[in-house]
Amino acid sequence: MRNDCEKWKDPLLDAALTGIAAHGLEEHMFNCADCTAELAALRAKRERLDTLLPLVAQGSELSVDFRARVLAAAEAAGETSRRTAWPVWQRAGAMLVIVAAILVIGFTLYRNEVRTSGAVPQNELEAAQKLSEWRAPSDVLLEAPGLEILRATPRLGESYMPVPAKTDKEE
Amino acid sequence: MDNLIARTDAEEREAGFAARVAENQRRVFHIAYGILGNRADAEDVAQETFLRAYQKLSSLRESEKFRAWVNRISFRLALNRQRGGRRRLTRETAWHAHGTGEPVNALQNAEERVLVERLRNEIEGLPEKLRRALQLSIVEDMDAADVGVVLGIPAGTVRSRLHAARKLLLEAMK
Repeated sequence: MRNDCEKWKDPLLDAALTGIAAHGLEEHMFNCADCTAELAALRAKRERLDTLLPLVAQGSELSVDFRARVLAAAEAAGETSRRTAWPVWQRAGAMLVIVAAILVIGFTLYRNEVRTSGAVPQNELEAAQKLSEWRAPSDVLLEAPGLEILRATPRLGESYMPVPAKTDKEE
Repeated sequence: MDNLIARTDAEEREAGFAARVAENQRRVFHIAYGILGNRADAEDVAQETFLRAYQKLSSLRESEKFRAWVNRISFRLALNRQRGGRRRLTRETAWHAHGTGEPVNALQNAEERVLVERLRNEIEGLPEKLRRALQLSIVEDMDAADVGVVLGIPAGTVRSRLHAARKLLLEAMK
């Protein structure tokens, strides 16, 4: 194969597989003995490939007793499911019982929840009581004898003599 | 009376199932064998496929539905077995296959066996998408549409993957 034949390598493979030559390939092969020979060789290989490929899948065959084994296993599985299968009315009844049981349990749990949700546990009540009775040590200072005087003393800008404000009519 | 009716239904069901197994067993086995390359594993997969089909028999009454379903399940179970490594998978050579199963007429001479073995190795080396399409298409009785149903791709895509796979194999055969 010449150097300028390199570009025909891929079209030659396609031609060997499909039997259809790409545009320009036939023209090239008319002048190129190498490519013509290459295509013939590729076609022979393709034929070989077509013969061998099915053999890859058929390299082995099923055991003679395969079907009997499958049918026996299926029969056993069917027997088990028939034995365990309940008639429709039994299944419907069982379903009803299950649904009723779920509803009863759910309702009971819900009621218990509602009943207990308003009540406060005893230990929490005691803790709250203690907290309300607690006084900070600084509260003692606020109860000092001078506290009343401090409260009666006017603040900055206020008078010792409380003068009632005049109304518009009095003016 | 109910028992009698139930027994008749079961008998009919089993007769129908036996016919379905007979129609599909070879293809289902070869789909698994193409992936696993091991007869014992492929038989396990084929058996599991039919047992699953048996459980769903009522919804697979139509022949075409059954066929497509078992093809797909066999393929999936084989892939799971291969990926999951449930047991050490050993790919049989054509020599092993010849020695364990029924005589395979097609593999008559040593040269051919060697070539098949070499080709199998080349297929193993293909990119996965091309390999899966090729492995399914070489199973007897599987056309591009069947392969497409198993792989979940259009038949046209199957054909282009097959072309690409065969091209790579042809190159490798040089």
